[in-house]
Amino acid sequence: MAAGSSMQWLRSVKGVILDMCGVLYDSGEGGGQAIHGSAEAVRRLIGSGLTVRFCTNETQNTRERFVQKLCVMGFDISVSHVFSPAPALIHILRERHLRPHLLVHDDLIPEFDSVDVSSPNCVVIGDAADNFSYQNLNEAFRVLIGLEKPLLFSLGQGRYYKETDGLKLDVGVFMKALEYACDVQAQVVGKPSAEFFQTVLSDMKLQPHEVVMIGDDLLNDIGGAQRCGMKGLQVRTGKYSQSRNVEQLILRK
Amino acid sequence: MFICLFYSFNPVAVMASRRALKAVLIDLSGTLHIEDAAVPGAQEALARLRQAPVTVKFVTNTTKECKRTLFERLRRLNFDLQEQEIFTSLTAARNLLEQRAVRPLLLVEDSALEDFTGLETSDPNAVVIGLAPDHFNYQTLNKAFRLILDGAPLIAIHKARYYKRKDGLALGPGPFVTGLEYATDTQATVVGKPEKGFFLEALRDLNCSPEEAVMIGDDARDDVGGAQNAGMLGILVKTGKYRPGDEGKINPPPHLMCDSFPEAVNHILENLLGSK
Repeated sequence: MAAGSSMQWLRSVKGVILDMCGVLYDSGEGGGQAIHGSAEAVRRLIGSGLTVRFCTNETQNTRERFVQKLCVMGFDISVSHVFSPAPALIHILRERHLRPHLLVHDDLIPEFDSVDVSSPNCVVIGDAADNFSYQNLNEAFRVLIGLEKPLLFSLGQGRYYKETDGLKLDVGVFMKALEYACDVQAQVVGKPSAEFFQTVLSDMKLQPHEVVMIGDDLLNDIGGAQRCGMKGLQVRTGKYSQSRNVEQLILRK
Repeated sequence: MFICLFYSFNPVAVMASRRALKAVLIDLSGTLHIEDAAVPGAQEALARLRQAPVTVKFVTNTTKECKRTLFERLRRLNFDLQEQEIFTSLTAARNLLEQRAVRPLLLVEDSALEDFTGLETSDPNAVVIGLAPDHFNYQTLNKAFRLILDGAPLIAIHKARYYKRKDGLALGPGPFVTGLEYATDTQATVVGKPEKGFFLEALRDLNCSPEEAVMIGDDARDDVGGAQNAGMLGILVKTGKYRPGDEGKINPPPHLMCDSFPEAVNHILENLLGSK
């Protein structure tokens, strides 16, 4: 790519969306640690006058707790600028007058405090980890199959993720399970869904071509953002720095 | 032309082009009984069927119970049968494990383990998924997942989406098998209904081809669809897990639909037996 043309599009950039895990910090023992220089870089971006927002598919915690964790690492981020699947979903639920049956991590429940969960007319699943028991899945299944129009939302669609004590099944696996049981297709909320990125863009009051996405995940961050008309900048930290074979498996679909 | 079309859709005319009926395969849960209650009139209907010149076999995808338990329940409900007339997907799974000489992680109910006696299970290099609500927790699923990722074959007793319990519908093994297939980007080997192999295996010792057999069941896809795909005739009964509209989910549609097992037997005795 010619240096001249790349400078051209940079001038039209008015906003930046940052992925978090793998870009700002690495996950691991004790909540993780900041990637060297990232906190200062974020401060500079915000100070430059660009509109800055943050994107994550994290659903094992509320935004507040998640941002608190980052503040402890030295980041200066406000909660209202962080976009995760749960608030994006809540926006959709409100627009469509939907009341969810929740199968999510215990620590995510407070995110739904303002949502009416009586007489559910849809099912929401997130990265529920140990809450993915047969009983809980069965309960979610019964709600879904009992609806005249079965509606299933999945917060992300990941196959598995790495933790300190080994690989663990992610939300996508249980989304597929419920899809198969009820013969329906889930609506995925979160990266790489176009609707998710659009929510962020609307909040920024910017057009896609005025925004650049910075991420480590080729398919979910860069691919998803570019399909919306944004430019994607891939960093060589996080998922990128893992072995090629593992990356192929993690990033496929 | 019109008369020919009418004739070709007449079920009796269809039978005239088939060989005489030799065997009747009967599903258990949802067809002969629901949990511990027999379908009304089923015992008497079975007795009448046995008076006809056909062999009867009981085929089931039930994964929670071993053959002996199934047999004892049916006897308690006054059904007339022998234990060796029962063919289950557990038996089919065991046969496959022996053929492949692998050591399975058995995700099946404790009560079904009896049908796997004699197989080595330490240091597993294969995963068998049945219906095991007591064992289907996040930790055990992760264990199975890691084995499959390391190369262990995934064997599914069957892929039923759900089944009917007294307290409502409940998830079958299918959803969990599908989830693990997605997680590992592999495909399971399914040994139970509606796989063609299951029906052919059930008929093998009856010296009977699929064209000489009929299947009676409550599951449109697994019982009737599977049997018809193997070359048999299928009769869908509206008991058990049947829900209105199920018949539209298979192609071709069921050869016949009946309210319940006794009506299916009536039809067989009146229409499907040998040449007059």
